Amino acid sequence: MKSEVKPLVNLNINPCKMCMPMGSATAFYGLKNCMTILHGSQGCATYIRRHMATHYNEPVDIASSSLTEQGTVYGGSENLKKGLKNLIELYHPEIIGVMTTCLAETIGEDVPGILQSFLEENPGYEDITLIPCHSPGYSGSQYEGYFAALSAIVSSIKMETEKNHLVNVITAPISPADTRYLKRMFSLFGIDAVLLPDLSDNLDGAHDPSYNRLPHEGTDLAQLKQMGGARFTLELTAFHHKNSVGEYLSETYGVPYERLPLPVGLRDTDAFLNTLSHISGKEIPDELKKERGRYLDAMIDSHKYHSSGRAAVFGEPDLVYSTVRMMCECGVMPVVCAAGSASPELDGLIRPEISDLAGLYLVDEYKIADKADFKDIEEMIVTYKANILAGSSDGRRIAEDLHLPLVRRGFPIHDHVGGQRLKMLGYEGSVEYMDEIANQLIDTVETTFRETLYDTYYKGTAIDQKKEPESAEEIMKRKTKEHPCYNCQAHQFARIHLPVAPACNVQCGYCVRKFDCPNESRPGVTSSILTPEEALNRYLSVKEKMPNLTVVGIAGPGEALENWENVRNVFELIRKQDPNVTFCLSTNGLKLPQYALELKELGVSHVTVTMNAVDPHISGQMYQYIRYMGREYTGDAAGALMVANQIAGIRQLIANGILVKVNIVTVKGINDSHVPEVVKTVKSLGCFITNIMQMIPVKGSALEHVEPVSNKQLNEIRKQCEEIMPQMYHCQHCRADAVGTLTDDKSIQLKGFVAEERPVLVPVSKSLRFAVASKSGVVVDTHFGHAKEFYLYDYRNGEVRFAGKRSVEQYCQGEEECGEKEDKIERIIAALNGCSGVIAMRIGMEPAKKLTKLGIKPVNTYDMIEDAVKKAAEAM
Amino acid sequence: MSKERDLLLDKYSSRVFKNRKSHITQLEFGENGDEITANTRAIPGIITARGCCYAGCKGVVVGPVKDSVVITHGPIGCAFYSWGTRRNKAKPSYEGEPNFVPYSFCTDMRASDIVFGGEKKLEEGIDEIMELFHPKCIFICSTCPIGLIGDDVQAVARRVEEKYGITAIGYSCEGYKGVSQSAGHHIANNGLMRYVIGKGEEAPKGKYSVNILGEYNIGGDGWEQERILKKIGYEVVSVFTGDGSYETLKNSHLADLNLVMCHRSINYIAEMMKTKYGVDWLKVNFIGVGATSKSLRMMAKYFNDPELTKRTEEVIAEELAEINEDMEYYKSKLKGKTAGIFVGGSRSHHYQMLLRDFGMETTIAGYEFAHRDDYEGRDVIPQIKADADSKNIEEISVERAVGYDDRYSVEELTSLRNQGVELDTYNGMIKDMKEGYMVVDDYNMFETDQLIEEYKPDIFFSGIKDKYAIQHGGVVSRQMHSYDYSGPYAGFRGAVNFGRDVTMSLYTNAWSLVKPPWKTMPMLEGTLGGAG
Repeated sequence: MKSEVKPLVNLNINPCKMCMPMGSATAFYGLKNCMTILHGSQGCATYIRRHMATHYNEPVDIASSSLTEQGTVYGGSENLKKGLKNLIELYHPEIIGVMTTCLAETIGEDVPGILQSFLEENPGYEDITLIPCHSPGYSGSQYEGYFAALSAIVSSIKMETEKNHLVNVITAPISPADTRYLKRMFSLFGIDAVLLPDLSDNLDGAHDPSYNRLPHEGTDLAQLKQMGGARFTLELTAFHHKNSVGEYLSETYGVPYERLPLPVGLRDTDAFLNTLSHISGKEIPDELKKERGRYLDAMIDSHKYHSSGRAAVFGEPDLVYSTVRMMCECGVMPVVCAAGSASPELDGLIRPEISDLAGLYLVDEYKIADKADFKDIEEMIVTYKANILAGSSDGRRIAEDLHLPLVRRGFPIHDHVGGQRLKMLGYEGSVEYMDEIANQLIDTVETTFRETLYDTYYKGTAIDQKKEPESAEEIMKRKTKEHPCYNCQAHQFARIHLPVAPACNVQCGYCVRKFDCPNESRPGVTSSILTPEEALNRYLSVKEKMPNLTVVGIAGPGEALENWENVRNVFELIRKQDPNVTFCLSTNGLKLPQYALELKELGVSHVTVTMNAVDPHISGQMYQYIRYMGREYTGDAAGALMVANQIAGIRQLIANGILVKVNIVTVKGINDSHVPEVVKTVKSLGCFITNIMQMIPVKGSALEHVEPVSNKQLNEIRKQCEEIMPQMYHCQHCRADAVGTLTDDKSIQLKGFVAEERPVLVPVSKSLRFAVASKSGVVVDTHFGHAKEFYLYDYRNGEVRFAGKRSVEQYCQGEEECGEKEDKIERIIAALNGCSGVIAMRIGMEPAKKLTKLGIKPVNTYDMIEDAVKKAAEAM
Repeated sequence: MSKERDLLLDKYSSRVFKNRKSHITQLEFGENGDEITANTRAIPGIITARGCCYAGCKGVVVGPVKDSVVITHGPIGCAFYSWGTRRNKAKPSYEGEPNFVPYSFCTDMRASDIVFGGEKKLEEGIDEIMELFHPKCIFICSTCPIGLIGDDVQAVARRVEEKYGITAIGYSCEGYKGVSQSAGHHIANNGLMRYVIGKGEEAPKGKYSVNILGEYNIGGDGWEQERILKKIGYEVVSVFTGDGSYETLKNSHLADLNLVMCHRSINYIAEMMKTKYGVDWLKVNFIGVGATSKSLRMMAKYFNDPELTKRTEEVIAEELAEINEDMEYYKSKLKGKTAGIFVGGSRSHHYQMLLRDFGMETTIAGYEFAHRDDYEGRDVIPQIKADADSKNIEEISVERAVGYDDRYSVEELTSLRNQGVELDTYNGMIKDMKEGYMVVDDYNMFETDQLIEEYKPDIFFSGIKDKYAIQHGGVVSRQMHSYDYSGPYAGFRGAVNFGRDVTMSLYTNAWSLVKPPWKTMPMLEGTLGGAG
């Protein structure tokens, strides 16, 4: 099995089981003139009464010994004896079930001993049958408690061993209505049955103003005493119980017995009736044959609805077993089968049938579990894609959350009336159960098929024109909903970052841009730089392979607005091909006031501004320098300019209806305590969300040695800021060429798309390397003599590829070697080693001569870098 | 004049008689007042309606705190039984606020944990919770075995606080402590006072701010109260604890006034906040149209601002105009009918006021777990003797915190009280009842049956455990704990809902169809052939 749902070890979240006394009390309710008392805190009795009354819509009276703190120290026998006495005097029961609780068992109460001395101290009570039942809440669920009580009943009652004609019938927990079904069957076959227990009337009584509080229906003491002499015991449960009544009666009194699963579904009802026929020596009555025929008819009629079902079945082991068997017969695929109680046998008993059906339906995955809580069950329902639930009403929370129908069976039913009347036994009960399942599946189809058909066959086609156009507000809402960086619920949507903006106008202290790096995943890194046309191709080919792609973003690797021509071209080209995709851009905000309006016109709906401070002094410390309008600024001046432009820019964006996210990079010792101030400011500007991030200390950056803030501190800051405005917790620090969903970046796998689709123009030839003097990284914009760094480009087979950068300083060997005499030009030339040519805005005569001598071709031009490289290469 | 009482007690054995007689009083309003015994142990074997200490702590007080995780430390049963059963409604107050009310968390202790201890399991369980849900506050509620096997839940809570920097409270609220849920209320109050109240610093922004104490938002009652208070202009800082949150409770000490709904379950906090932070408390009742109006007017008097008084009167008039027609109709259907009411702490008192709005009298009333002051008023508190069971529940004492002052001087408070503002006091249920009516403490099933037979009320308000027995007996019963999935019943709009539900219950067709035709039609006359 591929998927795995891991249950928690130490916690039960939303239990799918109750405790033993609940089951024991239920079992005792099937006896006539029997009252029960719980030895422990009175809350146990109160809680159980409350839950049973809600399910059965009947009064449920369980007494308590009302143990107090004193009782826990000195023992509770006095309380229990008092309780028994009061119970007897007020209700005059014939039988009293005396159940223990966690408390009584933990303090080690000897209940049989207490009962013994109670009878000795109170002559006159000898005729009352007292049945002690071990039911500590920590030893099992209500399912075990139920069987423990049945076993306690038969082993406490003094049996009359004289043989009689009765048949003992022991049942797993079933509803009063199903108990009545069993009684009808026995009477049809003329079998005198002793039912243990018989809940048919005590927990589903008729309206009767002369109501008697003592349960006055059910199996009476005389019948119980005859169980030892009965001619047969039929035990109706799919599981072997360690305290099996059938086994006990067989071993102690020689009553033969047979264990059968509850008669649910066709095969198990057949087997049950067959056994009744054997026991009674009578043929199956015609009315039952007709019932069988009707059930079979219904199975055939409904099979097409059934086959659409993927069910999750949960509850007590017998309910799960029988429901799953019936579903398999009818063709409903059980994909989640979960018992709340421990049931090690369950898997082995139902797996073969489920596996057969799964093979037929080509279903790979399903899950069978015991000891499951509703947290596990919900996870399994999602993982194994169930579309219908069957079990107790506690599944209603999941049904509501996941919008799935719930067919209620078993115990407890708390949110609907009629839990006591629910049927699943016999052909008629089964057909009722299966019809309910089929109808729920039909209802689901009925309410969703139009949408499904529309989505499958019409959506996006030519006939899909009638739709009302979305309002601007709706578009914005939808786009935000589908944007993985703005909505953490949108993780199924993918985005693509197009690396078209290599140049940057600020040097952040924490940033090193890398242009050919597949190994790092952080902002500023990309495998390559794309031209606008390449970017379009890349978008189109990725979109084809990734239909959930909703967002195109430009996030560097440099500053988007510093590469405005490229950015504009990319957006225009893509918009022509795809009118709906969301445009998103990230910027440091320095040039935002210049371009905010144009962004709006281009249809950019989401902008992320990285703003680390609103205090000029703090802001200034984040940058080594900024370049603006041809000038370089540092320190407070840089900070003041940044902050002023960022705020002005954000104001314009918001005035134009663009959603703004603000990223705040937290640097220890610089802005970490200032972050809430930033958040307050951007909140007042009307920003949507802030994303507080750690600085990643990148090797080679100015802040390389600053220790990053701890995750703990980061979360504290986020929490603090959450009180101001929403926070993004799911940022993945994406690369500038990220592709895919936030959690599954495909940038490396998909980077070949462009190359794959481009035909090889010329046979492989030698590659040429050019050094380009540029500040922007886009245009050849620098004098040769002023160049502090060169962008290296390789030309090969008609393609131009960015190959890295070289700083002039790096190639200078220092004064000792180079000498003071060696002029600046010499130093620059030293940096060009290995290049075939150098391209600059202007190269002087002298340097040109020297370069030519060294075999490096000088090219004077003012052009886009790539075009310049191409032309230069083709000229060579 | 105590005919019915004698009839009722007659059925008991001498020992039970001796115990029960002082818990049952038929009101005389004589010179000595009507005394009642309360908050003593339930008699074993008599089917009491009471729950346990854990139910009071987890189920009532801390369970509804929506942004906090409540872990039941113990075997699974108690966690299941206290899961979502009180219908406390809660919804996130802002986008992203967690709501854990629909969850049940439990350490699900097994036999081996009982033997070897469950502290480790609890701590590791909390690690799992922190990883999955990261709540700001965790309440650990212990069930019966915990105190006996020696798990130190307080120590676990301290370690959790240290490890995660959140608030964690370990409650030793084992079921056997005290004599009823009431012990659990007290224990829960102590923990909230110690670890939550006063932790926040966010002062209310409104001119007049209040907390609503002892309102658990069953069926949305708290929301109706907040609606009215906000309409007048009050700021509701926090609600203890229906739809409440750790985030708001921690600021509650900064409010101007505490409004106390359920006196029994929350009076400890009201008193301690008065002592420590100087916040006065006012016993209000928002159940019933008259009671709600009276409560609002007392509040206006307390703040003594003509503007606020004017607004209060405007709102009352507007609200009354809105419901008047409906109220008159239901009153025409209900006038003259009688009711019995057995509920937990304060509802048996509150709902008498609402029934009176419809012209109905409550002839039988009782509490599950009240103390004498809930019946007779707080004046009797000095006369209440502490017994072994109440001594086992910790009393914490607090002192005035620095920087907090009383709003009014003692003289001013006395003067306000003389004007009818029920400040820092509660007069109890009995004073609002009439001569001959029956008051029963810690009622049980037997007494409920007998009293219904003797008094024959038209409707009996109680809980699910009694409901079906009462209805089998031919008297309609409505649940006062969960409102039978209806509500809200509080405030002005709630009163109409209540009137509709009661009318519908009393007039439903089924009651007229109880008798089948063969019981009333004359037998067919004739003779059997051959006999003549």
